Amino acid sequence: MAKRKHGSVPLKKDEITPKPLYDSRRKFLKQMGFLGMGAVLASCAPAPAATSAPPAEPTGGLATLTGLTDELGNPLTDYNAVTGYCNFYEFTTNKEKVDEQAEDFVPEPWSVEVGGLVNNPRTFTMSEILETFDQQERIYRMRCVEGWSMVIPWLGFPLRQLLEEVEPTSEAKYVAFQTAMLPDVMNGVNSMMFPFPYLEGLRLDEALNDLSLLATGLYHESLPPQNGAPIRLVVPWKYGFKSIKSIVKISLVTDQPYTMWNTIAPQEYGFYANVNPDVDHPRWSQGTEIRIGENQRRDTLYMNGYADEVEYLYEGMDLAVYY
Amino acid sequence: MNQQIEDRKQESQRFQMRVLVHFGGLLPLVLLIGSYVRDELGFNPVEAALQKTGQIAAVFLVLSLAITPLRKLLKLPLLRYLRKPLGLYAAFYAALHFLTFAWWDYGLDFGLIWAEIVAKPFIIIGALALLILAVLAATSFRSVQRKMGKKWVQLHRLTYLAAILVIAHFLLAVKGNLLTLQGNYTFPLVLGGVLVVLLLMRLPGIRKNN
Repeated sequence: MAKRKHGSVPLKKDEITPKPLYDSRRKFLKQMGFLGMGAVLASCAPAPAATSAPPAEPTGGLATLTGLTDELGNPLTDYNAVTGYCNFYEFTTNKEKVDEQAEDFVPEPWSVEVGGLVNNPRTFTMSEILETFDQQERIYRMRCVEGWSMVIPWLGFPLRQLLEEVEPTSEAKYVAFQTAMLPDVMNGVNSMMFPFPYLEGLRLDEALNDLSLLATGLYHESLPPQNGAPIRLVVPWKYGFKSIKSIVKISLVTDQPYTMWNTIAPQEYGFYANVNPDVDHPRWSQGTEIRIGENQRRDTLYMNGYADEVEYLYEGMDLAVYY
Repeated sequence: MNQQIEDRKQESQRFQMRVLVHFGGLLPLVLLIGSYVRDELGFNPVEAALQKTGQIAAVFLVLSLAITPLRKLLKLPLLRYLRKPLGLYAAFYAALHFLTFAWWDYGLDFGLIWAEIVAKPFIIIGALALLILAVLAATSFRSVQRKMGKKWVQLHRLTYLAAILVIAHFLLAVKGNLLTLQGNYTFPLVLGGVLVVLLLMRLPGIRKNN
């Protein structure tokens, strides 16, 4: 029987209050503000997206998040579901057992190597990332290719900001991502079933879109292991498997990179994997979806409801071919 | 007198086997309802219920086909009382599986359900298996069996076809690549392996040796 893992151990309030890490981040930003750097920071910050919610206060934990919705008025998915129902095959293929299996995964120390076709290749430590990039809250819908969806309050920063730091060269056309492969803590990587490490990729212009987020936290805390600690991609207009977790490597490349699901079953999982109710999947309905926590199916939105922000990326492309 | 004692003994053994099979047959349903009521079906209860009812149906179907070989192998004639009820439970859970899909998941929206069925080969295969099981269940009464005679035996050999379809449906429903077996294929493969052995045992050459 599938057990609701968090059902037996109710989450205490103090478990969801922000981590010291989060506080130090805020403190750092405040100091920056006092030093008159606010204007400088603001100039690199993107124009506020329709989807970004006003940053909630770090104190108060979940309490301040209740009542929050995405820009379409959808309430947030329960914290227990967000952290208890995850696809992370490096640990297990059982979505409700990932949190348990990932308990020993301590993503410290961590660094992300950013290289390839860039002028300033650089390896960022996690603390450098948190210090360099202003963390903002973004409430995004997440639509899994398996036909379920959630609404998640992420903390993170636009991928574009990181790319601007390393300066892609003119030959760079795609961004390739790689997940950590840690056989000591990831029981699933030895299973031989999947060609790990997990790889994903975006076209450079997709990566530069303001919606493409590098997330370092959710629900006001740093990312739990099962959700892709300490840093992951979130591309809300694409099926969830594009939003690669626990990133160790980002490379700028010329050719469309190999991605894991596209390599395993190209007829089912396209490179683009844009949420599209008109392009069906042999196994799951892509016309409707189950929002976790709801009882009735709802219609799946074209580009997961982000068409206005991303449609320009696919002008002139036949999305039934480039699915 | 002796005959009467023998009859009574047989009757009581038959009763015991029936209790056993109905206990085993209803237990998964009780457990399933129990976890639903206690909200323990997980974060996506529809998905969990779909998978569980399907798996239970598949197991009962293969079990029902294993009864005759097991009865001969273990020299336990009593097992013959299990075969039909196990087949009927397979049909029952297959129906529950379909109801979970059509009613719970798709809210009996027949337009949507039809679109799903025709768009997805694995659902067509599952629906065919369900159709066969429904026909077999409807003709499972002893009176029908007597009336149909030899044709009944031929008709009910379709159980094997239903089982093959069920395994195919199961394999195709797993996320991954069936050709390279990249995915969660253990359960359907084990069940399919058992089915292959059972089918091989029905081959005339092998059958005689038993």
